[in-house]
Amino acid sequence: MFQIFVNTHYNIVGKRVYAYWISGLLILAGLLSFIFQGLNYGIDFRGGTLIQMKFEEPITAGEIRSLLKNPELGTPQIQRSGPNEYMIRVLSIGTGDEIQEIIQKDLQEKKFEVRRAEIVGPKIGEELRRKAIGAIFAALFLILVYISIRFEMKFAIGAVLALFHDVLITLGLFSLFQWEISMPVLAAFLTIVGYSLNDTIVVYDRIRENRLTHKNKAFPDVINLSINESLSRTVITSLTTFLVVLILVLFGGEVLFGFSIAMLIGIIVGTYSSSFVASPLLIIWDKKVRQKEMKKK
Amino acid sequence: MQKKFVLNYVIIGVLLVWAAWQLLPTLRYETMSEERKEELRMQGDLEPIQNRIIRRGLDLQGGMHLVLEVNVSKLTQNIAQNKSQSYYQFMNQVEEIFTAQTDRDYFDILEEMANAQNFRLARHFPGRGDENSQIIASLRKEAADAVLRAEEIIRNRVDQFGVSEPTIQRQGDRRIIVELAGVTDPERATNLIQSTAQLEFILLKDPEVVQDAISRIDAVMKKVEPETLTDSTTVEDRVSQNKEVSVEELFGLTENQTDTKGDSTALVDEKIFKDRPFSALLRNLGNDIGVPAENYYAVNRVLQNPEVQRVLPADIRILWSNAPETFTTQDGTQKKFYRLYFVNRDPGLTGAVVTDAQATLGGMNGSNMGQPIVNVSMNSEGAKTWSRMTGANVGKRIAIVLDDKVQIAPVIRDRISGGRTVIEGLANIEEAKDIEICLKAGALPAPVDIIEKRTIGPSLGADSIRKGTMSALIGLLLVVLFMVIYYRGSGIVAFVTLVLNIIFVLSILALLRATLTLPGIAGLVLTVGMAVDANVLIFERIREELRKGKTVKASVDNGYSRAIITILDANLTTLIAALVLWQFGTGPIRGFAVVLFWGIVFNFISGYFISKTILTTVTHGRTLKKLSI
Repeated sequence: MFQIFVNTHYNIVGKRVYAYWISGLLILAGLLSFIFQGLNYGIDFRGGTLIQMKFEEPITAGEIRSLLKNPELGTPQIQRSGPNEYMIRVLSIGTGDEIQEIIQKDLQEKKFEVRRAEIVGPKIGEELRRKAIGAIFAALFLILVYISIRFEMKFAIGAVLALFHDVLITLGLFSLFQWEISMPVLAAFLTIVGYSLNDTIVVYDRIRENRLTHKNKAFPDVINLSINESLSRTVITSLTTFLVVLILVLFGGEVLFGFSIAMLIGIIVGTYSSSFVASPLLIIWDKKVRQKEMKKK
Repeated sequence: MQKKFVLNYVIIGVLLVWAAWQLLPTLRYETMSEERKEELRMQGDLEPIQNRIIRRGLDLQGGMHLVLEVNVSKLTQNIAQNKSQSYYQFMNQVEEIFTAQTDRDYFDILEEMANAQNFRLARHFPGRGDENSQIIASLRKEAADAVLRAEEIIRNRVDQFGVSEPTIQRQGDRRIIVELAGVTDPERATNLIQSTAQLEFILLKDPEVVQDAISRIDAVMKKVEPETLTDSTTVEDRVSQNKEVSVEELFGLTENQTDTKGDSTALVDEKIFKDRPFSALLRNLGNDIGVPAENYYAVNRVLQNPEVQRVLPADIRILWSNAPETFTTQDGTQKKFYRLYFVNRDPGLTGAVVTDAQATLGGMNGSNMGQPIVNVSMNSEGAKTWSRMTGANVGKRIAIVLDDKVQIAPVIRDRISGGRTVIEGLANIEEAKDIEICLKAGALPAPVDIIEKRTIGPSLGADSIRKGTMSALIGLLLVVLFMVIYYRGSGIVAFVTLVLNIIFVLSILALLRATLTLPGIAGLVLTVGMAVDANVLIFERIREELRKGKTVKASVDNGYSRAIITILDANLTTLIAALVLWQFGTGPIRGFAVVLFWGIVFNFISGYFISKTILTTVTHGRTLKKLSI
C-alpha cells in the first residue's frame, strides 16, 4: 500500500498559537493593502468598457497607449492577453458604442480584430456589487444554519470564522497584487466558501465521531487526534483539486485567469485553515479547557 | 454476484441508458459535417436534433448579450400633455435628481417632488384621477405595460432580423435581456433593437421664430464667451487667420462633457464671430440652416448649454438632419453639411397610427427615382389627422422625424388624404429595410437605454472551447493517474465513477436545455476535484479499517457506511454555495452554478452509490484476502 501521513501524531492543537500568528499577519497585510490600495474592481462591478483586440502585426502596450490619445478615454488600462492581443479597459462608457468607436478610430492605422467588447453601465456595476455582497452573506448565513443543525453552534461559529479567514486572506492577496475582481472571481470566492467548508466539515465530522468513541480523552486531544486521522485525506484531496485548478491557471486562458487564481489561493488557504484554524478555534469555546488554562496561570 | 445487487445494477443500467439517450444528439450533431447539417435542415430534420443538444453559451460560440432598460423618464414625458413652461421646469428638476441618484425609482422621485412643490400632476396627466398618488399609481402601471410591450416589440424585430435561437427575457421590472448567438454585425443588431422607431410628423417653426431663437442664443453666447476665455485676442486672431479653433477656446464650454468626440475644432465665420458667435457656426443652405460637419459638436454643445436652454421658448425643439450631405461651396471645395431644424415641441402625428410599411426603391418619374424609400400607410384615425394637418398648413413645411432625426422636411403643397406618406433620405436599402421592420413591429413605447453590452467574437469563443476542453482533459488525466498510482485497483473504480459523473452532468445539461459556458467548463473541472474527494474519503476510511485488522469485506462495508456521513455533510454545504450562486448569478456565472450543483448531486450517485456497488460486488463474491487499495 502506497500511503502518506499514516498514524501521524503531530501536536497541531498545541501549536495553534503559531497558526493564529500566521493567519493574523496575513489578514493584517491584506487589510493594510485594502486600506491603502483598495480592490481593483473590474468593469463588472464598477462600470466601464473593455475591449479585447488582436492585432495583425506585433505591437507593444506602450504603442497602443500612445495611440489612444482621445481625452475621453482617461487613462486606459492596457493589458496583454496573448500574442499580439491586448485588453483595453476604460472607466467611461459614453453612450452606446461611443467608447468602442473612439478606440477603434484612434487605432485605425493598425489592423486588428475585436475579439470581445464589454460595456457595463455604472448603475449595473453598483447593483452587482451590492448583490454580490448580499450573496456572500446569504451563503455564509445558510451554512451557519446548516452546521448548527448538523453539529453544534460552536462548530458553526468555528467554521464560519474559518471561512471569513479564507475569504479575507484571498481578498487581501487580490488587493495586494491588484488582481482584478470580476464576476468569475466572485464565483470563485463563493466556491472557496463551499470548498473550504468541505475540508473543515470532514475534520469536524471526525471530531464528532471521536468524541463518542474516546470519551475519556480531553477535548483538545480529541481534536488533535481527529486532525491527524484526517490528515492524509485532507492532503490528498487538496492535492488533486490543486492539480486540477493549477491546470486551469496554466491552460484556461485569460478569461478564466482571475477565477482560477482565486480558486488556487482559496484551496491552499482553505486546506490550511481547516486543520490549523477551524478545529483549534473550537477549543476557545470549550469551557473546561479555558478553566484548566486559567488554573495553570 | 449476490441477489441484493441485482437491483443496484438495474438502476445503474437505466441511468447509463438514459445518459446515452440524452447525449446521443449532441454527439451526432458535433461530429456532423456542415453539408450534412444543411441537408438535414432542408428536410426539417435538423431542428429536432438541435433542440436536444447541449447548447453553447455566448462566451463559447460568440455573440451578443444586451441588457436594456426602458427609460421611464422619457416615457412619462411622452405621456404628458399641456406642457407649459412650469411643466418643463419641474420635469427638468426631477430629471436632474433621477440622473444623480441612480438607485432610486423614478416615480418615487416624481411623487416626492410633486408633493414637496405642490405641483399638480393632474394638469398634465388628465384622466388619471385628481390626487398625485393616483396619477403616480396609474403611471407606474403604464410603465409596467410599456416594458411588456417593449419586450414583445423587440422580440418581433429580432425574429425578423433572422438570428437563430435568440433569447429575450425580462429581468426585474424595467429591464430586458437580449442574447443573440453568432450575430455577425453587432452594430446593426444593436441599432435595430434600440431604435425606438418613433415616427413623428412635426410642423417647422416659422422663419421669424427661428431667427428670434438664434438671436437669443447669440446674445447668451456673447455674454458667456469673453468671461470664460482667458485669451480672447489670440482666439480672434486665429479665427481670422486659419478659421480653426477649439470649441473650448471658443465658448469655454468644458464643463459640459456630454458630447465629446474626436472633432473638437470648429469652423467659424470670422466676420460675424465677434457679434454673433453662434450664428458664426451656421451657414445658409437654401431655405435651411446648414451646419458644416466640423461644427456639429460645437453646435450641439451650445444647444445643450443650460444658459441657452433657459432663453429658448419652451415649445421649440431643435433637431438635426439624419446624415450629412455633401455640397460644393463657392470656392469649389466639397464640404459636408448637416441641417438644423427648429420645430414644434409637440408632434402633430406619431407613428402609432402606422398600419404598414414597405421598403422599396423609388419608382420612375418620381424625384426619388432609384433611391431607397419606405412607403407608410396609416389607419383611418391617422389619415384623418394627417389630412387635417396638411390641409390647414399648405405652404408651410413639415418634418418627417424618425428617432429624433429629421429624414426630410418637404413643403406641404396640398392636403394629403388617404393616409399615405413616404420616408426618404435613407442611406441604403438595408436602412430602409430596418426602418420597415421597426415600423411594422411597432414603435417602442419609450426609448430603451443599453446599460450592459457584451460582444464576444467567434474566434475568442473557439479559443475558449479549446482551452477549456484541454484543461478539463489534462486535469482529469492527472487526477486519474494519481488515483491509480495511489489506490491501484480501487483507483480504477474511482476513475470509472469520475467519468460517469461527468457524463451524467452533461446529460442533465442536455435534458434541461441548459447552456454550457466557459465558467461551466470550469465547473466541470471543479466537479472532478469534488468527486475525487468522495473517493478519497471512502478509500482512506477503508484503509483505516484494514489497518485495524478487519476483514476486507467488513472494511469495505464500514468504510462506505462511515464515509457517507462525511460526504453528505461536506457536499451539502457546497451545494448551498452553488444554490446561492444560481440565484444570484446571471449568464456565465449561472452556467457555473448549474454545473456545480448537478456535479454534486451526481457525486452522491456515482461517487458513492456506483462505487459502492462495484467494490462491494468485488469483495462480497469471494473471500478476498487482499484488496487492491
